[in-house]
Amino acid sequence: MTRLTAMALTLLAGASPEGGFQVAIESALPRVVKLYGLRVGMEAGYGSGVIVSPEGHVVTVYSLLIEAHRMRAVTADGTVFDAEVVHRDADRQLALLRLIPPPDSRGDEFADPSPDTTPPIDEVNPHSPGGSAENAFPYFDLSEEAALLPGDWILSAGNAFKVAEGDEPVSIAHGVFSARTRLDARRRVRDFPYHGDVLVMDAITSNPGAPGSAVVNLEGRFVGMVGREVVSNLTHTHFNYAIPRDVLREFFQSATSVKDGASFEAPEWASVTGDPAAPSVALSAADLGFRLSTVGYKRVLPFVEFVRAGSAAHQAGLRKDDLILSINGRSVAAVEEVEQRLGTLVLSDPITLVIRRDRAIVTAILQPEKP
Amino acid sequence: MAFIPCSRMAVALLITSAFLTVGVDATDRSPPAPRADFNLLLATQQVVRDVAETMRPYLVRIETVGGSQPPARMVDPEDEKGESPKQRRSQRPFVDTPGSSFEIADGPTTGILYSADGYIISSSFNFVREPLLISVVMADGRRLAAELIARDQVRKLALLKVDAVDLPLPRWVERDEILVGQRAIALGLGFGGERPSVTLGIVSALNRMRGNAFQTDAKLSPANYGGPVCDIEGRILGIAVPMAQRPGELAGVEFYDSGIGFALPKSKVEEIAATLKAGRSFYRGWLGMQIDPNAREGVVVGNVADPSPMKAAGVVSGDRIVAIEGETLHHFGDMIRALNMRSAGEQVTLQLESAGRQFNVVVTLAPAHELGNLPDVAEPFDPSVPIPEAEDEELP
Repeated sequence: MTRLTAMALTLLAGASPEGGFQVAIESALPRVVKLYGLRVGMEAGYGSGVIVSPEGHVVTVYSLLIEAHRMRAVTADGTVFDAEVVHRDADRQLALLRLIPPPDSRGDEFADPSPDTTPPIDEVNPHSPGGSAENAFPYFDLSEEAALLPGDWILSAGNAFKVAEGDEPVSIAHGVFSARTRLDARRRVRDFPYHGDVLVMDAITSNPGAPGSAVVNLEGRFVGMVGREVVSNLTHTHFNYAIPRDVLREFFQSATSVKDGASFEAPEWASVTGDPAAPSVALSAADLGFRLSTVGYKRVLPFVEFVRAGSAAHQAGLRKDDLILSINGRSVAAVEEVEQRLGTLVLSDPITLVIRRDRAIVTAILQPEKP
Repeated sequence: MAFIPCSRMAVALLITSAFLTVGVDATDRSPPAPRADFNLLLATQQVVRDVAETMRPYLVRIETVGGSQPPARMVDPEDEKGESPKQRRSQRPFVDTPGSSFEIADGPTTGILYSADGYIISSSFNFVREPLLISVVMADGRRLAAELIARDQVRKLALLKVDAVDLPLPRWVERDEILVGQRAIALGLGFGGERPSVTLGIVSALNRMRGNAFQTDAKLSPANYGGPVCDIEGRILGIAVPMAQRPGELAGVEFYDSGIGFALPKSKVEEIAATLKAGRSFYRGWLGMQIDPNAREGVVVGNVADPSPMKAAGVVSGDRIVAIEGETLHHFGDMIRALNMRSAGEQVTLQLESAGRQFNVVVTLAPAHELGNLPDVAEPFDPSVPIPEAEDEELP
C-alpha cells in the first residue's frame, strides 16, 4: 500500500508523463499558423495566429507585423498563404487576417492549398460544417465554451522564436492556468491599452513570436490566445497571459459584421451592466447627491464631503466623512476611480457602495433617481 | 499521510476515466494518446482544483487604502546610510528604465485565517506602503475592518485582527513532514476575483534562509505573497513571503515569478505569531559599525556608532572580526550573510581578534532606530590606496 502510494506521489510530484498531452497538441497544431512579415527595429518580424473560421480567418495580436497590409502565413502542413489584414482593433490590441492562396504561385506545390497538400479535414476538424468543403480550414470555433479552472493544465502552441521552420510543427509549451483577471500592464514604459480580462498562465509564453499562439486545455479545447508581450504592473515581470476565448469571439463577431474601417461596438469590458434597454446615462456623484473630498496629495481618497438632503445618497444613509471602498463590488481607491466607475453604470440599477465609517464597514444601496 | 492521496487519486482516476469514455464517444474524438497518461493528468488537475476549493474558505482578500511608496532612494527604509548608485544597480536589477523606481502595487493581497477569534496571518510585504486603512473580505463576502497588530520585517510576516468569531481554520503540515520534491500548490487572491490564482511547483529545498523557510519553484509574487503554499491534500505547507540573501524590506522582489520562492512552515509561523500577537514587531538587527575600507584582508572594525551593540560590547576601531556565530568571515559579503535574517534583540557571538589576542563577545543586535551616530572622523587620504569598493562602506 505504502509503495503504491509512494508511486502515485512520485508520479504526481515528478515531471509530467509523456504522451498525456497528445489530445491537446493534436487539436492545436493544425489550427495555428506561423506568420512572417516585415521586421521593424526591435519588433520581431514573425508571429503566430489562430484559425477561427473554415474560410481561413485568423486572429492574432495587433503588432507592427500587422502594419503591413499583407504578410505570409504558413499552415501546419507547410502551405504558404498570403494573409490579408481584414480588421485592426487598437483597443483590444487584436487583428483579424484572412488566408488567401498567393495568386502568383498557382501550381506551386508548396503554396497551393489543393486537397493533396491540405490536411485531411474530416479527421482533424470535428467543427467543420459537414466536414466536406474542399478548401475548408481546420479551425477553432470561438463560440464553443471550454471548462477552465485555476490549476488546470494548459498548452500553448505557436511560433515562439520562429524555431519551427517550413512544415515543422509549432512549439508547444505547457503549464497551468492561474487566474482570470483584468490586465494591468505596460509595454516598455507605455501603458498597454487593453485593460480587459486575461487568463494568467503559470507557463512561459511571453516570448518573441509567441503572441497569437493558441492556448488549449487538456482536452484540446480552445481557451484563449497568447497576447502581446507586456510587463505586469503588479509584479514588474514579463506577464504570461492569454486573451480569453469570449473576448476573441466578440472581436471576431464585431470585425466580421462591419465593413473594414467602420466603427465597431464598444469592447466588452467597457460595456454597461444590467438591462440593455435601460438608458445608459453616465452617472456622477453629483447625480446621486453627494460630493467627494478634494484634499489629498497625488491621490485623493474618496471621502464623502457633503450629502444633499433628500438625494439618493441621503436616502441610502450615506454620511459626511464616509470613505467609499467599493462600488458594485469593484474597489475604488481614489476620487477619479469613483467617478470613472459611476460613469459606466446604468441609471436605473441600484448601486451598492461599501463604506468605511469610523472603524466599521457598512453597505449603502443607492437607488438613482430618474431624470 | 500515506493513505489519503492514494485513495483520492484512485477515485479521481475512476471518475475521470468513466467520464472520458462517454465524452470521447459523444464527440467522436478518439485520443491517440496513451489513455493512462491522459487520465493521470486529468486526475492531477482534479486534485489541484480540489485543493483550491478546500482552501478557499480560509483565505481572505486584503484591501488597503492610502499609504505611499517607500522612498525610492533606499532599498531598506532603515538604512540610514542610503546606498551608492552601484549598489542600487546591483541590488535592483528589476528596474528596467534608469531613474524609475520599483513601485509597490496597491492592489489586493492575500491573508490566511489564523485563529477562530479573528487573527489573520499575511506577509508584511503587503503593508510596506503603510496604508491608512486595511479591510479584509472574507470568503463568504463579509467585509471587515482589520487592524495591523505587528509585523516581522525580517521574516516578512504580518498579523492582522478582525472582529469575528468561530472562523474556520485550515490544516497545516508539520515542518518535519515536508519533503523535498513533493508537490507545492501556491494560492493567492492578488489578482482580485473570488477564485484563488494557482501556480504549481514542488518543494525545492528545506531549511533555507537561516532555517526559517523552505524553498519552492511554484511562482511566487505579490499575486500570492501572504497566501498559502499547499500540499495535494489541501493542507498548508507554508505561507509565501518574499525573501532574499540580503536584508531589506523589499528584498525578494528580484525573485518574482522566477521559480525561486520561499515559504514559512507551521512551527516558524507559530513562533513568530506568538510574539506578534503580543504587539511586538521584529526589526532587522544591526551591530552599529562600519568596517575599515582600507583593510585588505578579513573584516576589520572601522567606525563604531554610539550608542550601538558594538560600543556596548567594548569593540573598538581596528579589532578584527574573525567569525560570527562560528561562521568565519573572509570578506564583507560573509558578514552580510552572517547577519542576514537576524532580528533586533537576537544575541550573536562574535569572535574577535584585538592586539593579537582572540576572544569572544556576545552582542545583542539593535534596531536601526536605537543606533547612535558614527563618530565624525575625517578619512585619511592615501593616494596609494585604491578607492574602496562601494559595498565596503555599508553599515552592517
